[in-house]
Amino acid sequence: MASNRRGVGLSAFKTASISADQYARHGAQLRSNHADALANQLSVFQAALHNFSITHAKDIRSNPTFRAEFARMCNAIGVDPLAGSNTRSGGGKDGSKGGSVWAKMLGSSVNDFYFELAVRVVEVCRETRAENGGMIAIGEVRKRVEKGRGVGGGMQVTDDDIEQALKSLKPLSGGFDIVPLGFSKFIRSVPKELNPDQSIVLEVIQVLGYVTVSMLQANLGWERVRAEAVMSDLVTDSLVWIDTQAEEIEYWSPAGLHQAG
Amino acid sequence: MDAALIARQGAVSPVPSSTFSTATTLKASTSSFSFPSPTSYPPFYTLQPNLTTRAKQLTYWSQLVVSYAQYHRLFKLSLSTPPPGLFNSPTLPRSLSPSDIRLLLDWMSEPANGSKIEWIPAASRITNSETCWVYWKSLGEWADELYAWVVEETGQKGAVLTVYELREGEQTKRCAWYGMDEDLLKKVLQVLVKRGKVQIFGQDEEAGVKFF
Repeated sequence: MASNRRGVGLSAFKTASISADQYARHGAQLRSNHADALANQLSVFQAALHNFSITHAKDIRSNPTFRAEFARMCNAIGVDPLAGSNTRSGGGKDGSKGGSVWAKMLGSSVNDFYFELAVRVVEVCRETRAENGGMIAIGEVRKRVEKGRGVGGGMQVTDDDIEQALKSLKPLSGGFDIVPLGFSKFIRSVPKELNPDQSIVLEVIQVLGYVTVSMLQANLGWERVRAEAVMSDLVTDSLVWIDTQAEEIEYWSPAGLHQAG
Repeated sequence: MDAALIARQGAVSPVPSSTFSTATTLKASTSSFSFPSPTSYPPFYTLQPNLTTRAKQLTYWSQLVVSYAQYHRLFKLSLSTPPPGLFNSPTLPRSLSPSDIRLLLDWMSEPANGSKIEWIPAASRITNSETCWVYWKSLGEWADELYAWVVEETGQKGAVLTVYELREGEQTKRCAWYGMDEDLLKKVLQVLVKRGKVQIFGQDEEAGVKFF
């Protein structure tokens, strides 16, 4: 662009280097202005968040709706509440500070809340593993966590809280995964991959409550052998319960065990 | 343990040491026992082939049998005449087969599973036992309760009581063990004998029991 108008003398070199210099200086100034403004905003925001969390720490811990809103707000501005709790174990990039934004802001009480919840979720998964083969709907977990074990042992939580809590377990590689199945999400607490046939059957069971081999044949167009093989696999993995007192063997979802009526 | 079961047990039966026992609910009809949710789940009445699942199923069954027996104050269970409604679903055309009932009771009798029942030896060695005690309270718990009642609540330490009095006396009407089978009460007394808290004189109904 400028090359056409560039003079032919030696001074042309000088002019070029001067203008490049000026551009660079201007750019640097703009950048530092930006950075200052951002740092300023961030510190203002952090102070606000800090104040907010101090005044409302109790609400955040005890009120699920409030907590969800708070988490949503943090998500909207790009603060991952749990980020950083992972880096602590890995040495921590920010050195001595360590800990998550949550921990720094709230004196780790909200972080603790999720860790506490994670422990409860793991307990529920372990308790029920024998009856559901390690696949349990998040809603079911929530009900059990809310009920608690002893007097006053229950926690008011949402499904989102449970997912969040499970995320905090990731660094431990405990094999807890969230698997979508049909309309709802399930927590899988055993290291087991479902094959496509098994997933389909479990989805059907979730909707209808139970299936039979002939239902699978009629609706999915499967060979009898295929349907039988899938069902016997599911029984082996204790993912379904059988009822032999019907006309044909019925395979039931373990979820029905605790649903009255 | 199933929380629903605990809740119901708590609601139905008073604390062990209380003399305000289930006497009032003694004649309550079968319908007022609220069955836990698994009883409306069809597979609950089919013994599960998967052993892990089965263990869980038997645990739930054991809780059901115990709370049912406690609610109806059943001390003894007979396979030939099982209590109505216990092994049949209240809401579904499903029932536990006699062979599965035996398997369940065998499972319950194992110490690892809480020794919730004890088979009463059959008359002849060839046949299987058909009856069992249901321990909704263990022998030790019964012994504690009986001793506490006699010594602390009614202050009859050193007195001699008859077995009949303990089982069916006016005073014991409000006690949880009122109407308990004589053989079972004797087993309870034997526990106290072993602890050196009781001495038994004589035989059968006229047997006297002295509490120390």
